[in-house]
Amino acid sequence: MTIVNRFTSAVLTVYFWAFIGFLFAPLAVIIVFAFNQSAVPVLPINALSTRWFQRAFDDTELTGAVLRSAEIGAATGLFATALGIMASLGLSAHRLRLRAVFVAILLLPLVVPYISLAVGLLLLLNQLGLEISLGGVFLGHVVIALPFSILVVLPRLRSLDPALIEAARDLGAGQISAFNLVTLPLLLPSLVSSFLICFVTSFDEFAIASFLAPPGLPTYPVFLYSGSRTPGLLPELIAIGSLIIVGSLAIVVLAEGGRRWAERRLQGATVAAADEPAAEDVGRLAAGA
Amino acid sequence: MPSRRLRVGRGAFLIPPLAVVLLLLLGPVVLLALYSLDLLTNIPGTPTALSGDNWNDFLTGPGNPFRGRFLYSMVVTLLVSVGTTVAAYPLAYYLAFVARRLRYTLLLLLIAPFFTSYLLRLVAFSDVLLNDNGVVNQVLWALHLLPRDTAVSWLLYSNFSIFLVLFYSWIPFVSLPIFAVLENMDRRLIEAATDLGASRLSAFWRVTFPLSLPGVIAAFVFVLIPTTGEFIAPLYVGGPSNQLFGNEIQSFFSSSPNWNYGAVLAIALISVVLVLMLIFGRYLNTDLREPATEAAR
Repeated sequence: MTIVNRFTSAVLTVYFWAFIGFLFAPLAVIIVFAFNQSAVPVLPINALSTRWFQRAFDDTELTGAVLRSAEIGAATGLFATALGIMASLGLSAHRLRLRAVFVAILLLPLVVPYISLAVGLLLLLNQLGLEISLGGVFLGHVVIALPFSILVVLPRLRSLDPALIEAARDLGAGQISAFNLVTLPLLLPSLVSSFLICFVTSFDEFAIASFLAPPGLPTYPVFLYSGSRTPGLLPELIAIGSLIIVGSLAIVVLAEGGRRWAERRLQGATVAAADEPAAEDVGRLAAGA
Repeated sequence: MPSRRLRVGRGAFLIPPLAVVLLLLLGPVVLLALYSLDLLTNIPGTPTALSGDNWNDFLTGPGNPFRGRFLYSMVVTLLVSVGTTVAAYPLAYYLAFVARRLRYTLLLLLIAPFFTSYLLRLVAFSDVLLNDNGVVNQVLWALHLLPRDTAVSWLLYSNFSIFLVLFYSWIPFVSLPIFAVLENMDRRLIEAATDLGASRLSAFWRVTFPLSLPGVIAAFVFVLIPTTGEFIAPLYVGGPSNQLFGNEIQSFFSSSPNWNYGAVLAIALISVVLVLMLIFGRYLNTDLREPATEAAR
């Protein structure tokens, strides 16, 4: 007797695909209306056009905001991942005192609401006599991205076979070169995951950016928020939005594909986590929050 | 011994990440606390002396509007958390028990929308789908379910739209912890139940469901915590009466600056979330604390 009978599995299949439709509907309408010739996103679509893409690319305020967010996102991805490696190395030390306290502090950004953190950072800058700046946005994003990086990198570090590093040391590698030659390459798939998750977290972050991005230098979400209140700007925001949606879906698929490929290649070299897809990482994030 | 020195060295790697979190997370929280007690202020002419007046007003002031807003937010948060968890369970169940071979690919399909811009999806709801001449009303007109050029009044700027949008955005992520539990469940237990004469339904209620409860609770908490501080969705799809507690905090620091009172609300929000974490945190078993769990799987 199987666990699920045929009728139940048919019902569940319909339910699942209905939800997939529901989840993708808002993304689909953005992509469809990006090609709508009309200036208002309303059915029926009488003529198709790519003119809003043209308008969007000519709007330097919009493209500037997207680039600004991409730069802050990339910087956040690099810094948070670097800090995530350090935290993971530290937390995996044997006989570490106060480990539970350190874990709690490092994961704290997951539970402090972004809106409270955003206004708190505003007070911090004010207290230090600093103006709001993109640097402040970047630092805020590093803090909120750090736990995600740790939750991706640390389990991977734990799953590495210590014998591999010992072997490198026995063969004459110093601590640093053993780390560079053995640990780092084996961690690489998780570092890529970490970078991407931190990048997306920063690229999409609104609360902190809305308080700390200076006037005239909005990040993409901040520009999107103020721009979507202006009906004249809406079509070009939808056009750029469709590209961003397609781009992020492509990154998710490529990251997962690349990860499966890397895991297969590294399979022999590791103990656990051989066939764990990136989704499992996200599951850990879910469980870790 | 060299290996001993190596261990001591490794712990030192914690210093930079801890410093970042302490300065940029605990620093702001401490400042918020000082503002909330009037020890610091942004209002010229206000004396900076320890005072619990703002706290008193928020907690005990009769008919305090912010406390009312807070209670409304908690009701919305609870409804969204329960709604998403219930709706996500069959999705996770489908992935774990029906979609055997393709389950990881389908899981990716399910969570992919989560990684696209949240604000863009809100724009899609507020300016394309739910608005008066938006796609949903248009479709209802085309199907003759609604007289042309009338709109469903509760579709946007309502409790419904707030719930729908939050439900929509959390469903993919909430499925994950439930899926993780179902996926790692020992199927022989369920088979044993049916072999011993239980129907599939009673095997589900008496074996599968109780065993999946840790994932269900994790999923519930996973929506509960971030939704408590939500303020972006109401900006797009909420009317004046559907603003959440987070929006009150936002306005104290932007349109009508009163950092002292705003700090009270910000600290109250953090405290509520911390209390929720203390109550439910034990159900969120990360493998960070116990290195052994990884091997045990």
